[in-house]
Amino acid sequence: MGVLGRAVAGQWRYVAVAAVLGAGHQAGEALVPVVIGVVIDEAVSTGDSNALLFWIAVLAVVFAGLSASWRFAARAAERAAERAGHDVRVGITRRVLMPRGGAETGRLAGALASIATSDARRVGMVNTVLPAGTAALSGILVTAVALLRISVPLGLLVLLAAPPVLWAGHLLGSRLERRSAVEQERAAHASGVAADLVAGLRVLKGIGAEGAAVARYRRTSQESLAATLRAARTQAWHDGALLTLTGVFIAAVALVGGRLAARGDISVGELVAAVGLALFLLGPLQLLAWVNGQVAQGRASAARVADVLAAPPLLSSGNARPHEVLGRVLVNGVTHGPLRDLRLEVAPGELLGVVAADPAAATALLECLARTADPAAGTVELDGIPLSTLDPAEVRVVILPAAHDAELFEGTLSDNVAAAARAGRIPGAMAASAADEVAATLPDGGDTVLAERARSLSGGQRQRVALARALAADPPVLLLHDPTTAVDAVTEARVANGIRELRRGRTTVIVTTSPALLAATDRVVVVTDGAVVAEGRHADLVRSNADYRATVLS
Amino acid sequence: MELLPTAEPGRVRAVVAGLLRARRGLAVAAFGVLVGATAAGLLTAPLLGHVVDLVADGRPPSALTTPVVLLVLIAVVQGVLTAYGVSLVARLGEGMLAELRERFVERALRLPLDRVERAGSGDLTARVTADVSIVAEAVRRALPQLARSGLTIGLTLVGLAVLDWRFFVAALLAVPIQAHTVRWYVGRAIPLYAKQRVAVGAQQQQLLDTVGGAATVRAFRLGDRHVGLVAARSEETVSLALRAIRLMTRFYGRLNVAEYVGLSAVLIVGFLLVRADAVTIGTAAAAALYFHNLFTPINIALALADDAQVAAAGLARLVGVADMPAPPAPRIPAPRPASDTGRPAPPVAHVDGAVKVAGLGHQYVAGHPVLHGVDLDVAPGERVALVGASGAGKSTVAKLVAGVHHPTAGTVTIGGTLVDEFATGRTVALVTQEVHVFAGRLDDDLRLARPSAPDKELRDALAMVGALEWAEALPDGLATVVGEGGHKLTATQAQQLALARLVLADPPVAVLDEATAEAGSAGARVLEEAAARALDGRTALVVAHRLTQAATADRVIVLDAGRVVESGPHKELLTADGPYATLWTAWSATR
Repeated sequence: MGVLGRAVAGQWRYVAVAAVLGAGHQAGEALVPVVIGVVIDEAVSTGDSNALLFWIAVLAVVFAGLSASWRFAARAAERAAERAGHDVRVGITRRVLMPRGGAETGRLAGALASIATSDARRVGMVNTVLPAGTAALSGILVTAVALLRISVPLGLLVLLAAPPVLWAGHLLGSRLERRSAVEQERAAHASGVAADLVAGLRVLKGIGAEGAAVARYRRTSQESLAATLRAARTQAWHDGALLTLTGVFIAAVALVGGRLAARGDISVGELVAAVGLALFLLGPLQLLAWVNGQVAQGRASAARVADVLAAPPLLSSGNARPHEVLGRVLVNGVTHGPLRDLRLEVAPGELLGVVAADPAAATALLECLARTADPAAGTVELDGIPLSTLDPAEVRVVILPAAHDAELFEGTLSDNVAAAARAGRIPGAMAASAADEVAATLPDGGDTVLAERARSLSGGQRQRVALARALAADPPVLLLHDPTTAVDAVTEARVANGIRELRRGRTTVIVTTSPALLAATDRVVVVTDGAVVAEGRHADLVRSNADYRATVLS
Repeated sequence: MELLPTAEPGRVRAVVAGLLRARRGLAVAAFGVLVGATAAGLLTAPLLGHVVDLVADGRPPSALTTPVVLLVLIAVVQGVLTAYGVSLVARLGEGMLAELRERFVERALRLPLDRVERAGSGDLTARVTADVSIVAEAVRRALPQLARSGLTIGLTLVGLAVLDWRFFVAALLAVPIQAHTVRWYVGRAIPLYAKQRVAVGAQQQQLLDTVGGAATVRAFRLGDRHVGLVAARSEETVSLALRAIRLMTRFYGRLNVAEYVGLSAVLIVGFLLVRADAVTIGTAAAAALYFHNLFTPINIALALADDAQVAAAGLARLVGVADMPAPPAPRIPAPRPASDTGRPAPPVAHVDGAVKVAGLGHQYVAGHPVLHGVDLDVAPGERVALVGASGAGKSTVAKLVAGVHHPTAGTVTIGGTLVDEFATGRTVALVTQEVHVFAGRLDDDLRLARPSAPDKELRDALAMVGALEWAEALPDGLATVVGEGGHKLTATQAQQLALARLVLADPPVAVLDEATAEAGSAGARVLEEAAARALDGRTALVVAHRLTQAATADRVIVLDAGRVVESGPHKELLTADGPYATLWTAWSATR
């Protein structure tokens, strides 16, 4: 069953209630002009006040019925739509966060978030669209029966002419709409440009480009205005054309109905009812067209949702759990991205520095070490067990990659550090990463809320908090990528020392070119052109290796 | 936090009235044409009533031809006039909107940065996106609908009165119910919808947080917690949506009552009038049709009531900013005279790049000074590095010298002129670690710094910061669309672009703050070289994080806790055995 099918099936009770009640509502709406016609025939034409009171009471019943049905139909449909949308939203989140990964491949975060919001909502909407469709059909059916009972030729005229009237309007409209969609897109552009300029306000101020930016915005705004006006004009003429078509249609009904009435085939009240029904019929027909469009949109959204849910996992193999972890890591002939048959061993408890002049090589090596990707060739082993045979969720328990672009999450500074912390490790981690100093400068210390992904912190402050979080997690194997690039030199030296002390006896790999950090390591390996070309202590390498000096100390 | 101002309702009305006055002719034409269109449409019901009367009088079928031809004619006239009238309304509304949003953006971009920061960056962004689009949406959809519905309702009531004044009275019976319903609804809907928008925003933010940080979430095994967070935010939006639909269905339920009361009253009046021979059956039928046809426009107009309230609130926030006092008129930019690059000398006074800072003190929060009496003299063309631990006040000095913040004590002068009096950025430019690539073509981005620059100058600037090679290798070269929604540049490339803008803006004084911090250590060196070339020939103040930046400067100034503690060339300070020497040893422990 597809995404749309599941969305409906999961809420079928509410959908069914909404469909039945919605049908009742439309039937009631169709009956209002019929009752008006009867009042004219039975009461106004005859002067019979009992008949008047009776039919006014009937009208009350019709109104009560249509009002109540709509009320509960709309509530049931909305509930079904919102619940189905919610399920899709949570399902997508779960899939994206799956340890085996793969859902983000080829998708930007913004695009995924929009699938989890707009597309999820559109998929849910199918639960309001389906009842609306049955309601429209019911309205059309009741109108048809009422019209045919009044007069077969008149009924046929209305029923056969109404769809072509709408279809002609649609034909006229769709050509215009395509044009107007393009125009509207251009119109929306102005708002995007303004937001972008405001987002870059500091940059604009920094180079005194406010005037140029204002001039650019004015130009965009005027272009946007012209496009909007073209779109609005198109829309207006389309609406006008539809209005004329409807008017001509009513005139035709009046002509045929009037002739029938004049010949005595139908009553005056029936003529009034027929005109009222002909006008009403356009409503459910338009609703049906809307349903059609919504279903098409829902299908497209469901396809995007299904693509995410069915994305192939990045890490497909492995179900084993690691035994007791010593922390010996072996990279055995790995070829991955720029890495070429790379071999590398990390002893249990070692603090290893890795220098890679090529950032892509550094990233590739970290991916393999952390098993956030499987190498094209070769293996990475932990205590002799290939990582590819382990369950990725289990790998996450023992190996923690702390990426240089790791995100901080909404919450306080302390919440972030404590997110994955082992008991009692937080104070040590805060001190070692100098995140305690960050907390000290904030208005509420560690309880300060970090807004907008901690954008309120400087780059160096963010790095230190992220490092504190990684150190507090205290994993058997810790991988650090450029943890201090934005940290000032004094603090960096302190942090290097802190990492060394805190990680003593546990395997740690730091990928960096910072001399302060490298000086604190037990051993440094240099990766050039995808392979290890040198290794040794930092001080020795600085003395003996000119390339190393150039990379690290320039 | 001190949010940007919101205009009083009276002021909003005055501004709208002002915008309308400027388009008086258009407004009158739009109104007139729509009245014509609506009036034409209202002839339909009496004509149908006339058809009924002809039939009731037993006239031959051929008598129907005239009213039917008139019906067709009316349909055509109504269609054409409506289309024309709605186009005119769009021209009126959209024109006013465009003028207002341009005034708003112009004022917003010229707001002092510290004012924007005091309000929180979200405030201005929300106004420029959400509020502008809410008002635009109202102008685009609600305004034409409201205009047409309002006219239809008004003229239909007139039409009923023309048929017989007692129909008009009957129809008015519905009005108290509708008025009460709208008051009842708007009072509840506005706070509920406001809550709903907040919840939807929070859900979106949580999803961006979780999905954008998916790698981090997985690394720290926070998956279950984040699914829980998303689910909780989503539940919140679901429950608010259900509350909203309950409110809406009750609103329409009450309107149904009004419809019923009005329709019954019109039918009863028709009955009584026909019985008293005051009107014909056809007139009674026309009155009933009139009222039945009012259902849709009344629902549209009343449903727009809360849209209108929301749009009014958005409008008040736009007018609030557009009305803020204009900053002092910027003086004519004062770039350097013709340099060896052969650029023509601009016809403005020469400003040399001497920076003089005297007794500078600053506090962001009253009672918490971050700078104390900083004095600093920088000779034209000299490159000075600011060094110190985080929180020492380096960035504050940078911002004050660049003129984006105003000192609470002391003065900054450049070439003998107070920094306040310059259009900031012309004489002194600030490049920070906050890189922003403007959405659009790469060359348009660069031209923000120098709007009239020919292609060659752009290429020269890119070449100077080592960016020409990758820029030309982009899919469409310099015409490639970059930034949000376009080609994504790396952090290093974005920073190179910032430096290229600096080269193009060509100020005599440049301030660099953490300009190379975010690119990772490999990118940092590329950027340091680019920065060195970009600063060539300018007075430069560099906030140094990597001490290599300090080592290559003419002079190093060490700040500690808001005070200058050491100043002199790198080599001298190394031998002076002061704080800088300690720093240097810590950094280059192994040299």
